[in-house]
Amino acid sequence: MRFPLITANRSRWISHLVGLGLVAGLALLSAERAEAYPPDAQAKRSPLLGALQAELDRSMKTYGAQDPPAYYIGYTVTDSVRVDVSGSNGALLNSSQAHNRWLEVALRTGSYQLDDTHKVGDRPAQNDSPVVGVPVDDDPEVLRRAAWLETDKRYRDAEEALIKIKTGKEVKVETAEGKAPDFSREQPHVSIGPEVTINVDRTPWEAKVRAYTKAFRESAAIINSIVTFSAQAQNVMQVTSEGTQLQYGQIRYRLELFIQGKAPDGMDIERYNNFDWVDPKEAPDDKAVYAAESTMRKELEGLVKAPLVDPTVGPALLTGRAAAVFFHEVFGHRAEGHRQKDVNEGQTFSKKVGEQILPPFLSITDDTTMKKLGGQELLGYYQFDDEGVPAERVTLVDHGVLKNFEMSRSPLMGFPHSNGHGRRQLGATPVSRQGNLIVQSSKSMTDAELRRKFIELIKEQQKPYGLLIDDIAGGFTFTGRGQPQAFQVQPLVVYEVFADGRPDELVRGVDIVGTPLAALTKIVATGNTPEVFNGYCGAESGSVPVAAASPAILISEMEVQKKETSTDRPPILPPPAHDPVQTGGQQ
Amino acid sequence: MRHAGRIAAAAVLSVVFLSSTSEVASAQQDNDHTLQAMRDEMARSKARLELQIPNSDQTVRPFYIEYRLLDLEVREIGAEFGDLLSSRHARNRFMDVEARMGSYKLDSSNFVSDDAFRGFIGPTGEVGVDRDYNSLRQDLWIATDQAFKEAVDTYSRKKGYLSSLARQSDIDDFSKTEPVQLIAPLETPDWTNRNWEQEARDTSAVMRAFSQIHESRVTYYLVYATEYLLTSEGTEIRQNRSVAAIEAGMDAVADDGVPVNHYYATYAVRPAELPSVDAVRKGLNVACSELMALRSAPPAQDYTGPVLFEARAAASLLAQELSPALDGARPPISFSPVLEQMLTGLGAKSDWVGRLGARVLPPTVTLVDDPGAKEFQGTPLIGGYAVDEEGVRGQKVTLVENGVLKAELMSRRPGPDFDKSNGHGRAAFLNDAKPTMSNLIFSSSEAVSPGDLRKKFLTECREEKQSEHEKYCLVVREMDNPALSLLHTEEFSELLASFGGGAGTGDRLPLVVYRVYPDSGREEMVRGARIIGLNTRALRTIAGIGNDDFVFNYMQSQGNGFAGTALAAFGSAQLGLPASIVAPSLLFDEVEVRGERAEAKRLPLLAPPPMTAAK
Repeated sequence: MRFPLITANRSRWISHLVGLGLVAGLALLSAERAEAYPPDAQAKRSPLLGALQAELDRSMKTYGAQDPPAYYIGYTVTDSVRVDVSGSNGALLNSSQAHNRWLEVALRTGSYQLDDTHKVGDRPAQNDSPVVGVPVDDDPEVLRRAAWLETDKRYRDAEEALIKIKTGKEVKVETAEGKAPDFSREQPHVSIGPEVTINVDRTPWEAKVRAYTKAFRESAAIINSIVTFSAQAQNVMQVTSEGTQLQYGQIRYRLELFIQGKAPDGMDIERYNNFDWVDPKEAPDDKAVYAAESTMRKELEGLVKAPLVDPTVGPALLTGRAAAVFFHEVFGHRAEGHRQKDVNEGQTFSKKVGEQILPPFLSITDDTTMKKLGGQELLGYYQFDDEGVPAERVTLVDHGVLKNFEMSRSPLMGFPHSNGHGRRQLGATPVSRQGNLIVQSSKSMTDAELRRKFIELIKEQQKPYGLLIDDIAGGFTFTGRGQPQAFQVQPLVVYEVFADGRPDELVRGVDIVGTPLAALTKIVATGNTPEVFNGYCGAESGSVPVAAASPAILISEMEVQKKETSTDRPPILPPPAHDPVQTGGQQ
Repeated sequence: MRHAGRIAAAAVLSVVFLSSTSEVASAQQDNDHTLQAMRDEMARSKARLELQIPNSDQTVRPFYIEYRLLDLEVREIGAEFGDLLSSRHARNRFMDVEARMGSYKLDSSNFVSDDAFRGFIGPTGEVGVDRDYNSLRQDLWIATDQAFKEAVDTYSRKKGYLSSLARQSDIDDFSKTEPVQLIAPLETPDWTNRNWEQEARDTSAVMRAFSQIHESRVTYYLVYATEYLLTSEGTEIRQNRSVAAIEAGMDAVADDGVPVNHYYATYAVRPAELPSVDAVRKGLNVACSELMALRSAPPAQDYTGPVLFEARAAASLLAQELSPALDGARPPISFSPVLEQMLTGLGAKSDWVGRLGARVLPPTVTLVDDPGAKEFQGTPLIGGYAVDEEGVRGQKVTLVENGVLKAELMSRRPGPDFDKSNGHGRAAFLNDAKPTMSNLIFSSSEAVSPGDLRKKFLTECREEKQSEHEKYCLVVREMDNPALSLLHTEEFSELLASFGGGAGTGDRLPLVVYRVYPDSGREEMVRGARIIGLNTRALRTIAGIGNDDFVFNYMQSQGNGFAGTALAAFGSAQLGLPASIVAPSLLFDEVEVRGERAEAKRLPLLAPPPMTAAK
């Protein structure tokens, strides 16, 4: 399976991008921890919650008494108000506000031990879960009607699936992992939080996206630019037959900057940046945005002209944000619990709990209760996961020793409970996913010390240069058994650092290759400043917001290969604004 | 710009007659720099866009470049059971650049290849809405570059493929046409002061009274569009179009588990012309009542014999029959025989092409397509336009005279019978232009009153069914439009998978069908009938024609590439092209009907939760 780490930008161009948070130049790892249960006396219980509960009770009575019985039913209503304002090449592309509400019905037949979701052999898992559009007007009767029809459909599907599994199960060899129950028993939670709302005046943002993209037109190397502002208020209501009743909301604001260019040999060059915030007062000001644009423009112009790198093996230094993506891809995806269970998966870490998998100076947690790190928003924060389990701080690796996995309600032998990492994009079935992956080091040094050590390593290995990787875009990781257990991440900004003291040189066309376990053990030292990466991670349960944070890491040996390049040549004519031969012009 | 893809999901070109034909006038005061940006980028491309053939000193240039831009402002409101589902108001602009290599005789177009050139941005995309000069030039620049490279690649593939064929076609690829300049003043959308969200709530509340309806949806779709076209031949167009639609679908399940569905649709050129809440509620009420009647109606049985299509059904039937037949252009050359076969199955190959001068309809019938018609005997027609998508003025064409085929609908793609366009190259949402009808009028010099037609039908029925045990014949009151009546896309795809293959051979889907017992005159509704083998040949022997001309306004489906196939009649406002057919009741002597078209499913285990009828 491939897991591209992508951004939320829904443009079809941006398929392999990573949302990078600005570097948080702060040393402290002190988190502002959120209350899992914000005690808010003001919170008003939505009348829809009662309607959902009434229909749930009625359904459970009937479907719970069938053969096979429905043993679990959950109704989730997601209400979303979303504002999008985007610009391109100096003009407004679109500006809109949308309000939508969706209902999802989860229904399981059989028992916690064996139900209709049980994986048999290598049959692919059912990843999509139908979503029904329901009125945005609060109408308990119409919502109940939608739940009624959908429950019946879901029961029919679950009934059929369970029969298939029961008839297929006998002939398949069961693995130890397959003996774990299909669904974990969890404490029900009742939490009624306040409804969240946004009130966005789109007009100033329309002017901003015009101006932000107009500035990019000044560079002849930038062929296309898109800037998107988005704001979303999402309110969720969930009731389950286990007694969970939740009402909570989350607000997100985001500004994404994207530019495209082309090297003379046809290679596509893209630069990307994004800002994320929750409090409207923390929106980036023009100064911050133009500073980001200036860096993006300089990097793109540099990359267009940069020489291609040759395949090589040698020491590499990853800056904090690049290291964060590296850990997300190489470690984080493999620590997702459900992958340990699936016979199609490589199960890299399945039998390594209690073993040393990283150098002893590294510890990794996945902490979805954390709102901010060093003043910077963390996109992987939430109150409850998509299976209604409260967010939790999970120690995955303690001083190099593997301790735990990111767990959804799909248990493993020895890990019978969820730790609040069952996540999904609307319309997908939740599986265990990363939230805020935080790497901490006890062998940290200053940037200057780290660079000194890097140059020592280059000399030791008698290489002419090492690679400084400053930005990694996406990449994908193969965790499936049929594929090589390799990862491939695409560094966007890479410098050759020379042992002889020459200035660093920007190079182009680098792909990191290698096997994950080996790469992780080759980390020899780290910096002392965690940097945050915010992005949207795509996997089988869809795209979910995540953060990763890491200090810079020094790797003694890393293999790179040449990046796949496009055969499409650069444009024949120069950009109209930069054409020495002027044709026409604005009247 | 943002890549939009060739078949994007949201749009309709519709139709308005340019209130003033003030050609090439008044454009400069409106702060719209679209055409100026197009002109300048076109001039630069014509003069300097060339590519060197690798390993030679030869260069190639496009012989034709075309810029199309669609400026859409859309309000879309969905409601069910009296509640708002969603409400959207958006303005977007989309551009499409086409470059052609070769010559009018043989060019890079009309070739379906499986392995085409893919640029990194592409020749189509979403562009800024500001009508400014600079951003559009930037977007046109890169799109022209990509379109040109795509054309170079396709042209060499096409030539390679053609050289492997034993016989070359002598039909040109592209016809020449007089350049047209027509620049209409910009139009400001008039949404009226009607509260469209509240109207959608109020009309959809009708369904609350029908407790057996499972799902329903009412959608208001109001669009204003400005279309731009600029070609290297000198055509310059800016024209306004608009369409307003109210569409609804509803479904239920009969007691034996067979699903039944129904729809309601009404179209107008402008929002102000849409029917009132009361009128829509009345229409929805009829559809819902018929759906309830279908629920409890007996299933249709296999039947062969006379069938009377009442005017509304006849018009819809003709839309399915004639859409493929009238298409005079040569079908695309495809790399893959499977694709060709599929398109033929859908009716993409005309039965009438090659039969000029032959009788294709009863000798009394005349068939005219008139893009300039605005109304028929006081009822508005929605299919008209001044200039088609290829910049050719829409011409009134007499297609069939006294039953004899005289002409075909032509775009700029020549066909075996005609090579010039008659202004019928139509396209929804920047798709490739295909010959498509506008306002099609079917008339007969020997039409009879509906009463006389029914008498004739009953007489025939009596004779035909004399020896049979159950003496009845069938009347079709309404044909189905599954694009509207089926509420889930997967149901529609399922239907197309089972029905689509037979669309060209004459499988038709009636919706409201009655048995009429000739002795008593009693009518009895049946459910789920399917007509088979009713193809264009059957039109030659229509046994009776009424004088009850009915104006059927509908949306031609182009969004899925179905234009010019029988499926073209299954459109919706979101993915269609406005069209009108005027037709009377039609009597056919022998039609084959099969029973039950859907399979029974298990009924829900629980009764529906309560819903109060009033809202």
